[in-house]
Amino acid sequence: MKRIQNYAPEGFIALDNSALIYPPTEAVFNANTFRVSMDFSFSIKKAILEQALHDLLYRCSYAKIRLHTGFFWYYLSPNDAEPIVHEEGGYPSGRFAFKENNGYLFKVLYSEHRIALECFHALTDGSGATAYLKLLIERYCFHAGMPQMEFSGGLNYRVRPAKQEFSDPFQHLYDKQIPSYPAISKAYHRKGNGLFDDRVKVISATIATDQIKKRAKQLSLTIGEYLSTVYLYSLQQLQLEEVPNQKQRKPIRLSVPMNLRRIFGYDTMRNFTLFAVVGIEPALGFYEFDEIATEVHLQMVQSQSKKRLLSQIKRNVSGERNPFIRFAPTALKNPLFKLLSDFLGDDQYSGVISNLGYVALPPQLESQVVRCDFHLSPGLLNKISLAVIGYLDRIVVNFNSFYATDTSLERLFCTFLVEDGIQVEIATNREDTR
Amino acid sequence: MAYCVRCGVKLSNGTKTCPLCGTEVQLPPGMEETSSDPLFAKELPPEGTHGITKARKGLIELIIALFAVSEITVGLSLFFSDALAYGFIPLFCIAMATVSLVSIVLAKPRYVHHASWQSLIVALLLLGLDGADFVWSWSLIAVGGIVIFWMYGVFPWSRWAKKHVKGGIALSVLSTVFYLALINLVVSGALTWFLPVAVPTLLALLLGTLLFFLWFSNRKGNRIPIADIVLGSMVVLFSSSAVFDGSLARYQTGAISLRWASSLLVTALVILLFMVAASLSLRLRRYFTSHNRHD
Repeated sequence: MKRIQNYAPEGFIALDNSALIYPPTEAVFNANTFRVSMDFSFSIKKAILEQALHDLLYRCSYAKIRLHTGFFWYYLSPNDAEPIVHEEGGYPSGRFAFKENNGYLFKVLYSEHRIALECFHALTDGSGATAYLKLLIERYCFHAGMPQMEFSGGLNYRVRPAKQEFSDPFQHLYDKQIPSYPAISKAYHRKGNGLFDDRVKVISATIATDQIKKRAKQLSLTIGEYLSTVYLYSLQQLQLEEVPNQKQRKPIRLSVPMNLRRIFGYDTMRNFTLFAVVGIEPALGFYEFDEIATEVHLQMVQSQSKKRLLSQIKRNVSGERNPFIRFAPTALKNPLFKLLSDFLGDDQYSGVISNLGYVALPPQLESQVVRCDFHLSPGLLNKISLAVIGYLDRIVVNFNSFYATDTSLERLFCTFLVEDGIQVEIATNREDTR
Repeated sequence: MAYCVRCGVKLSNGTKTCPLCGTEVQLPPGMEETSSDPLFAKELPPEGTHGITKARKGLIELIIALFAVSEITVGLSLFFSDALAYGFIPLFCIAMATVSLVSIVLAKPRYVHHASWQSLIVALLLLGLDGADFVWSWSLIAVGGIVIFWMYGVFPWSRWAKKHVKGGIALSVLSTVFYLALINLVVSGALTWFLPVAVPTLLALLLGTLLFFLWFSNRKGNRIPIADIVLGSMVVLFSSSAVFDGSLARYQTGAISLRWASSLLVTALVILLFMVAASLSLRLRRYFTSHNRHD
């Protein structure tokens, strides 16, 4: 067999541009983690999963890294420690305990029927993590003696890793001449009712793809746009109760992460996403659902324009290259980055909806996969995040929330879907429901 | 597989209440549902144990270590300078500071909890400082002051007070009465000025507030103009000042007379007259309110 040569990282590896913000802002209520998982009809054996994880790290040696706090920047370095396979706990995408994970930036979890991959965002984004999970499952099935198969759009175990897989495309796309993307005003943030704590409470809504597709098609929207529209409509109803004075209503905006791999044609395994900000201005009056749908569609198309994206990239990368920031010690950078993450991030939008898209399964696995999940850690300002993933004939929308009892957003969202003729099935890890 | 009758969503097997609206799942009599797998392998862990326990533990250990070191250092230095007889106050202060810091780490992160614990600790500290010789004097007044602060600054935000507003107000008023009596008892050794001066003044204040409250709340419309609130408060304050002046004069000289509060009483009467007139006469009200608010 041909020996596979890896582009093994040596010594100091810089974080990619969009990963820079995650380590300084990491906190109890801002974990910056996410989880992708797959449930199977067969039971999962820990020993086989460990073998599969070993294979994954053999193929993707660039993921064998740990995070360090340097004098000027956070940086990555190769990690020789043994990776650990964890048993699944009671809730997803909590704060990442690096020490308990031997320093790795991703965590492989298992339960009786589930394989999950939880990532700290500095390592990769949702698409990257899905590619890791696909390879992990492929290797698991291989070692479990199941028929060989390959996920479409995943990593090939037998192919030597391309240099591009661990490159930072943001640095390639940076153009000094382009003006920076302008900052926008503050958006509406829900106050919410009752207490909240750091446990991520999940309400998982499973929807039949054909039903939602049909409805979205009637409105000339994609599924992602339709879900964003429902989210905005629900938030508008909540704002209507919370802020009775129309003039005082702040804009409601959503942050929708976009996978730039398709737009710019890069094949990196690091972070390569930017956020489309779509929203409405309720100070101008009440928006009907159709009006929001039009706004969302137009704004999504606009934000996918390469020119706008390059301008955003210019803003982000020029910040990194600014000599004042470059030569400031980490201790000074941390509070600055926290402020920046608020001004250019959380302040500007009222919620996050991350759509991982459709995960195509190999035909051999179709009958074995029971469920796919995607979870995203919420933040202190926006205490609910929506994570969407599609598989087979279903779409799973996971509401990840810090609120202890407040489920009004989830209720508005799901009841809207039900009223719109879409059947919704609900499951949760919240207490006192079973 | 059941449906929520209120939200219309399908619920996973074995669900007792709808996660969205809390409505109980109603199954036909005699029907039992098998329980499906939970969303995650384990139950939701107890609140706040993840991520912060270790930090809390470390902090408490640090505080206790600092406590031990400072107690030993101060104790030894007092011992070697032959001043151990005066050692109670510094050592007690260090101990109470430790308790205060530990309570900051352990108390639930809510204003009511923190403020209550700190008030209690400060009260104990004051009682301890004053009662080193087992005789308590000034600390009783100070502790009473802390209780009053708690009644007006912390208690209204507690769940009980939010639920029982009338009871909360009654308790606050009662605590004020008891505090005044306590001051009288501590300073004079018996109830001297409390009954002839404090009680009539408080009664006047309560009665005035109650009358104005009834008047304002029974008027048409829910909105109470800010001018009415300001003028009403002035009337209540001025007239109860007059009662205070009168009862104080009676307590000191034996004759009921107004000394410095006569002008206040006249002002109160004039304002009251104006308010009654404005309330009765539409024309007067229009003259004093802006052109677009004739209510």
